[in-house]
Amino acid sequence: MKKIERKDFLKLAGGVVGGSVVGTVFSGAPFDGLQWLVEWTQDQYVPARGAETSIQNICQACPNGCNLSIRMIGERAVKVETSNGACPVGQTLLQELYHPERIQTPLKRVGKKGSGKFMPISWEEAVKDIAGKINKIRKDKKPQSIAAINGTHNTAVNQLLGRLVKASGSGHIYHDTCFCDLSKSAVQLTQKVEGSLEYDVENADYILSFGARLMEGWGEPNKMYNSYLKWKKNKAKFVQIDTICTRTASMADKWIPLAKAGTESILAMGIAYQLITKHGKSSNVADLSRWSGLNEFTPQKVSAATGVPVEVIEQTAKEFVSSRKPVAVAGRGGKGVSSSVAEIVAVQCLNKLVDNLGKAGGVYVKMASNPLGEPKLDAIAEAGIKNTKKARGLDEFIAKMENIELLFINEGNPVHRSVYGKKLADKMKDIPMVVSFMPLINDTAMYADYILPTLTVLEIPANEASKAVGARFKAKHTGDIVLEIAKNVEDVSKVFTWASYKDVVKLSGKTELRSAASFSFSTDILKKHFEDLKKKMSEGGSEFNLSLIPFEIPVVGDGRGMALPYVLKSIDGNTFSMGRLYVHMNPETAAKNGVCEGSNIYLISKRGEIGKVRVHLTKTVAPDVVAVPLGFGHEGYTVYADDKGVNPKEIMSDSIDPESGVADWWYTRIKIS
Amino acid sequence: MNKKWGMAIDLDKCTGCGACQVACMQENNMPIFKDDSDLPKRVTFLDLMKVTNDKDAKKKYGEVQVAFVPKMCQQCEGNNLGAHQPIPLETVKKRVLGGEKVFFPGITYDEQDNMLYKPEVVYTKDMVEDLEKKGVKSVYFDNSQPPCVSVCPVVATDVGDDGVVSQVWSRCIGCRYCQTACPYEARAFNWWNPRYEGDFKKSLNPDVSLSSRGAVVKCTFCSHIWKRERDKLLAKGEKDLNKVKYNPACVSACPTNAIIFGDLNDPESPVYAKKLNNDERAVRLVHSIDKADPKVREKWIAKKNYPNPKVYYLSSQKWLRDILVGFKNS
Repeated sequence: MKKIERKDFLKLAGGVVGGSVVGTVFSGAPFDGLQWLVEWTQDQYVPARGAETSIQNICQACPNGCNLSIRMIGERAVKVETSNGACPVGQTLLQELYHPERIQTPLKRVGKKGSGKFMPISWEEAVKDIAGKINKIRKDKKPQSIAAINGTHNTAVNQLLGRLVKASGSGHIYHDTCFCDLSKSAVQLTQKVEGSLEYDVENADYILSFGARLMEGWGEPNKMYNSYLKWKKNKAKFVQIDTICTRTASMADKWIPLAKAGTESILAMGIAYQLITKHGKSSNVADLSRWSGLNEFTPQKVSAATGVPVEVIEQTAKEFVSSRKPVAVAGRGGKGVSSSVAEIVAVQCLNKLVDNLGKAGGVYVKMASNPLGEPKLDAIAEAGIKNTKKARGLDEFIAKMENIELLFINEGNPVHRSVYGKKLADKMKDIPMVVSFMPLINDTAMYADYILPTLTVLEIPANEASKAVGARFKAKHTGDIVLEIAKNVEDVSKVFTWASYKDVVKLSGKTELRSAASFSFSTDILKKHFEDLKKKMSEGGSEFNLSLIPFEIPVVGDGRGMALPYVLKSIDGNTFSMGRLYVHMNPETAAKNGVCEGSNIYLISKRGEIGKVRVHLTKTVAPDVVAVPLGFGHEGYTVYADDKGVNPKEIMSDSIDPESGVADWWYTRIKIS
Repeated sequence: MNKKWGMAIDLDKCTGCGACQVACMQENNMPIFKDDSDLPKRVTFLDLMKVTNDKDAKKKYGEVQVAFVPKMCQQCEGNNLGAHQPIPLETVKKRVLGGEKVFFPGITYDEQDNMLYKPEVVYTKDMVEDLEKKGVKSVYFDNSQPPCVSVCPVVATDVGDDGVVSQVWSRCIGCRYCQTACPYEARAFNWWNPRYEGDFKKSLNPDVSLSSRGAVVKCTFCSHIWKRERDKLLAKGEKDLNKVKYNPACVSACPTNAIIFGDLNDPESPVYAKKLNNDERAVRLVHSIDKADPKVREKWIAKKNYPNPKVYYLSSQKWLRDILVGFKNS
């Protein structure tokens, strides 16, 4: 072999190096490199391209079911187009779908409860553990120690979990409080049927709203927006009674400022008094005139109690009674509604007096439906149901909760939403097994032992005609998870004959609207309510000199939206700025209490104190009232929602309504420091 | 194009639900931060402002009102100072041939409003001859410029012939002159690199490029949707770009149809400018000259630059109109 000379070697090496340099230059690699360098220094991300398509689905965030058209780029969903007046929730669905903190697999708790430490486990393991627990509880003959708390939305699929609990032998089935819940008790009391109130505001020509912020997420937002447009067209009159000048109050044709917060029911009775005494409306069904207490509601007395001038009360009653299709709407609040049952009854009296129950533009009863039918119970279950000390509502259940072995939480967030949230968190620490179904970990799931990932709205096809975005990670439909668990529970599996949630969806029929003929109730309810209200308004004596009432801001609502960054971006500077929450106060109140714009204060009620919050002065709030935004102060709801502001539910009134078993937290006496 | 895109927002119908804002953020790939409560540094194209008249000392509790005002780039037009005077082509020819440098600062049009040359051209002999051949008798120039365009040193922002004020993120050098010049605070500066943590990246719209830190961004009336619609139309064989119709994201998202969009030049369109100008309810943001006496208005418009925006706000509330128009004591 020829020996390579040093010189030749250098030539060869030089040639290789030179050649590769020339080659690289001409290959265009340096230009690619520059491009890369530019991107790297600017840290710029370029969204992936792909074929553009669109898929159609129906929003299931509320029963209204708005059409959604989802713009897809390849497999990615990039935009939700809404057509028939869908509310902002439709726009936030993408943020929920692609949230970086979506739960990817079933999780099992490893750290202490509430520490938020979980480890991934398989579906089989999770289902086996949970079904095993139910089997064990049933074997021990204490099935009444199983309980379930559902999210607000009550569909056939959501009833599956309740069915599992019931078939296992427990009556502890509750859900996050909503207007349906409160009105259900009112309907039960006055009309003796199972169902909730459904106001046909769309067809009414005089809408008298007792603090229901109809334009701010109340009920089914889409329906309300469309109704508003219809009112404008038909020249219907919309009158809003509220202590805060909200957007609803300003959109209304007339805002009746209720200077004394929390007195909606007194004003309702004041108007009822007018209808009976001045406008000759018969009240023999409403039982009102027979109640001597009605004399307490003369215009002068009502005016003194509510701060609404006598003329306004008289004028409103006159307008209400002389309209063709008047309706009075109860249920204070926007997304987070809170009213006592007695207050809803008081407002219902007005509807009865103008005789609009079950008529177009009046009030219907939306009958409670049970599309799945009653499950057949075995001996253990029957005994369990008999032994269940069922609470009337979620808050009462939390307050009295004991000996619960297994608690299911389905989608809701009672730890944040309920005024008994902290108590629930404490009690969950002692419950041997808490199972939660949700797509994102929230304040409640932090205390769970098992977290099972569920699908978000966009991943669920609403019906056979609609299509969904592909399910992410190992998330499953809540219905499928429940069916799977049920199939592993001895004896109970017999009452779950469906293969998948899709079979259950088909069962949900149309909601039945009905008018129950009778309307009567014992006026003691009202008597007691007004006694309680009096007590509540003077609670804490002169030391607690201010009233605390809540308000909600766009998209955040009562807290669900806080985990979504685009929602955080939309919060206005007078509510949350530089990491600090603002409460709104009238300048008069501020002067009296020695605070000014931007002051740092603490809010103190008999239940405790929260702070610091800043003060924003505005004349939209009545004197001696502190308005606090809802939805803030999360403790375990993704990095976006955590440690932002305070949760006023911690200090809000925890008096449980005697009829519904739900706390009436709307109005609280507080002081500031 | 003979289009002039404009918007009209009926504040009486606005519930302040926030759908427009979230839709805008989703469509335009707004950056995501853990805490975005530092308002002056927040990057959004559409700001849903809550407005009340509670600063009015005369108003007491019970008399104040609240409204929401969606505010985005108002797509100013400028009032074309010193333009609209037709210059006979003969005059131009004389000056060019006499060795004078004839400079037209804006878009040059012929008498029939046909665009001849894009902005800022120096006329040459060839050009004049070419125009003569085409039978052009006189020309005029249109110097209408929004406040932001004239200050941009790198032409990162410009006006299209459909009146939309564009902004090219990657061309912006971050001097922020335009932000200072903007009368509406409609422009935002990326103080930090926009972040899209984890899977949020999956929902990014490929039609809108992501900005880097140090660039000014703003609403462009979703001009990428126009392009999308244009492509669809072209694919169908349509060649007339004036037939392209579209709606920005905020408009499509509004549940009460409070925001409407269309051609300000088109008498058939719901946002016909001449109709809006005479509408009692309509105002433009910080544009009190609209409400001045016609004689006074003409005098000042000839003398002074006004933003002349293409977004109209309609309200039946006088207090709200006064605040928006920028009257004192409101």
